[in-house]
Amino acid sequence: MRAKTPSLGALQPEAMAGHPVRLSRVSLHPASWGAALIAAFSAGASAYTVTLDPASPTAIYLQVGVGTFTQDYCGGTSYPPVHGTPNCGPNYGGGTPGNNATVNLVSGSVASGSVGNGTAVAMTTNSTVTNSYLDGYLFCSVPAQLYIGGFYRTTGATTAAASVTATVPSALKDATGDSIAFSQVQWTSSGNGDSGAEPFPAGTFVSGGVQTVGSMASNSWNESCLTFSYLNTVVAPAGTYTGAVLYTMSAP
Amino acid sequence: MNDAYRSRAHFFFALALTIICAAAQANSIIIDDSGTQALEPAVSMRWKTATPARSMADNVMTGTTTVRVRLNVMPWLRHSGRIYLSLPAQQPGPIRLSWLTQGHFQPGQVQSGNRVLVYSGLITTPFMEDTLTLNFVVDGALMRRAVPITYHFEMDES
Repeated sequence: MRAKTPSLGALQPEAMAGHPVRLSRVSLHPASWGAALIAAFSAGASAYTVTLDPASPTAIYLQVGVGTFTQDYCGGTSYPPVHGTPNCGPNYGGGTPGNNATVNLVSGSVASGSVGNGTAVAMTTNSTVTNSYLDGYLFCSVPAQLYIGGFYRTTGATTAAASVTATVPSALKDATGDSIAFSQVQWTSSGNGDSGAEPFPAGTFVSGGVQTVGSMASNSWNESCLTFSYLNTVVAPAGTYTGAVLYTMSAP
Repeated sequence: MNDAYRSRAHFFFALALTIICAAAQANSIIIDDSGTQALEPAVSMRWKTATPARSMADNVMTGTTTVRVRLNVMPWLRHSGRIYLSLPAQQPGPIRLSWLTQGHFQPGQVQSGNRVLVYSGLITTPFMEDTLTLNFVVDGALMRRAVPITYHFEMDES
């Protein structure tokens, strides 16, 4: 912890010569010589060093659809927040994130007379999430939009963004084994009050692959609202086709 | 000694005293604090707010530690003095340090590159002791790894 300890031997003649005024003063009080010399020796030889250690500074949070916060992060459940940033968090009445195992559903139905006609079919979600857990802001509209958001907390100035990928099966399948390529599903991205690029931009699923669907700049809250649709460009047998896409967040 | 010589001697003596006093008033001496003990080996810096803000403005890290400060003030015994806590400008960048005390020294706060008075008055004991709870605040963007921070106490003599 200590950077340097006082050491008489470490003193150079120049160090002592650097205090001529002190020696002149004590010459008026011979009894103080000893004290003055001790002071001269100790001068510049002692400073305290503590190590600031960024303990457990990295944290990530990804929410697709329903997530968990004990309450809005910035000051409760109302908007605008009771406590404006940066006074957020548990010490200011804000919530903390938690795990949530819910798998939300996005679905759509194609009328029998419209199958494969190329007119996209809007999909809806059973997610009920409309408000950002950051500050309670009404960000998404349900059932049309699926909330996706989170953060990547880390130290340092020039940190690469965390990436969010989607692991996509090759196809949606029904009970009899019929399939529809996952690339028939696309999405747009927006959010109430948003302008400019979204952290989770519009895209189309790549069948049977792992694709990047967004990135999270470090130390900021990133969120978008995804509106899914079925492209409806293929003729498939009647049935209920399902498939699960896994979203994964990776921090550098 | 003629009058001219005496007058000139008085002039130089007065001039010398003036220079000495002026220099002495500006003289700050780092106090030997080799008896100081830290109760923790390092300061664990944590996010002030675990979740960042949408604006990226909330990037503050903070950490607290306790030290038993023991200053060797024997050279100034029975003299008046002013003791400052000095936090030099240093890496990783701007640092704010605040502290609470047990009453011997004054509590306060300081930005790096500055110093703050913690004691003013007669030095009555060869060692001055107090337990300080130090709180460091630094921009998390500057904290990529553990960094040493140096501070010291210095004496201005009255």
